[in-house]
Amino acid sequence: MRLLQSLALACVAPVLGAGSEPMPRITTDSREYCIELAERLAKMPGPREEAVTRLVEDGVRLCDSGHPRLGVARLRRAMRAMLAGH
Amino acid sequence: MLWYATAGSLDRQTDAALRTDAIGLAQRWRESGPDAVIEAIAERLATDVDAAAIYLFVGPDRQRLAGNLDRWPPDLPEGASWGVGSVVRDSLPIDARLHAVDFSDNYRVLVGRDVAEKGRLRELLAEGMAWSAAAAVFFALMGAAVLRRAVEGRLRPAAQTAQAIAAGDLSRRVPISRREDEFDRLGESMNAMLDRIDRLMEGIRGVSDSIAHDLRTPIARARAKLEEALAGRDDPAALRAAMEEAIADLDHITRVFGALLRIAEAEAGARRAAFAPLDLSPLLAELAEFYGAVAEASGQVLETDLPETLEVVGDRDLLAQAAGNLIDNALKFTPPGGRVRLQARPAGADGAEIVVTDTGPGLSPADRARAGERFFRADASRGTPGSGLGLSLVQAVAHLHGGELTLDDAAPDGTATGLRATIRLGGAHEAR
Repeated sequence: MRLLQSLALACVAPVLGAGSEPMPRITTDSREYCIELAERLAKMPGPREEAVTRLVEDGVRLCDSGHPRLGVARLRRAMRAMLAGH
Repeated sequence: MLWYATAGSLDRQTDAALRTDAIGLAQRWRESGPDAVIEAIAERLATDVDAAAIYLFVGPDRQRLAGNLDRWPPDLPEGASWGVGSVVRDSLPIDARLHAVDFSDNYRVLVGRDVAEKGRLRELLAEGMAWSAAAAVFFALMGAAVLRRAVEGRLRPAAQTAQAIAAGDLSRRVPISRREDEFDRLGESMNAMLDRIDRLMEGIRGVSDSIAHDLRTPIARARAKLEEALAGRDDPAALRAAMEEAIADLDHITRVFGALLRIAEAEAGARRAAFAPLDLSPLLAELAEFYGAVAEASGQVLETDLPETLEVVGDRDLLAQAAGNLIDNALKFTPPGGRVRLQARPAGADGAEIVVTDTGPGLSPADRARAGERFFRADASRGTPGSGLGLSLVQAVAHLHGGELTLDDAAPDGTATGLRATIRLGGAHEAR
């Protein structure tokens, strides 16, 4: 199914690029957002549990290794855990 | 309904979440303006573990201020507040439910949710429901076919019986399975109906036979007399006597047909419209006076026991004829020196009883049971004049007045012979 969708997008993209308005794109599945989220976490005050630290490290490592979506998910869980701790 | 409760519920949950989200942002806008909204969106995106949230906050000149969409979706134009649009995630188009809210100073915020997962769930649900519906239809059709075969099997004997009867075999009856279910009850009802029709047909055949038999004799007699008169036309006295006898026979035939018509009229209830309140006492007293003279001439005594007044509602002529028939019968079968007693008394709320008792030979129980049939004449009465229609008319008149005719022994203990005939008249409301 995903393959078919990719093919459909590949067929439609030139048409969109040629005339119609392009589709909006979600920006939070990117390495840039990963870095932004990691910085946001780093600025948060207070002690950190070991599990949170591990989540942050995992998230950053995944983003660096080309899996920004998984990395962002780890960082978001770390953020939620930090906020719950506070 | 199932679709509304499942897939529809998913849509409603998404819309409710978007509405709540937008209300929260509007609150932040009112409290602290655009910076607070930007911070709130950043916070919400940072804790969106499901990675389904979509936000876009734009300024008066539509420049992007915050959010995770790079541009405003064309599926939600200016002025529209709800919509479904396509956005790109990981280079793939996905469906998103979108809700736009306008803030003051021409700021605008878009709140959305990635509904791709819910779309897949919806497809699964639709597929499941389609299979379930197909299975339900299949089993319903199978069940209907089985049920139909079972009902056909149970109704077949009744249908075959009906076909046989339609073909002329009136002796056929529906076989009963002894399961005591609805089909057995239907079969029993059909059999009871067929028995009743059989009896009625037999009755009609009997009446037709009786009419043919009873009228053949006077017609043949009249013809013989007229032939005899034709042969002896030189004797005017014999000619006149023969014609008078023929006329008497024809009058008898006319009376029989008149009686039959009156019985039919009474049984059909056609004369109920002529019902009126009347006092039975003077009516019966008049009858007693008329038949008293007849009784006296035959050496009989006609006694009466009538109340001062006896109000009933009914047909005066028919009641007089019914009571007259009973008195006439009693006088006919009571030997000289015998007694006939005419009584009347109130019965029930607004009914009455007319009782005629005689000291004649009476009737056997078997003859009493058949006395109301048209043209029935007991063996002992074959020698007396009559057509066998008198008691039929009395019975029909009693039924017309919501009552009945009963015949029993004048002295049930057997101390004396005689017959007691009672016409019971129901109230006006009981007349059928």
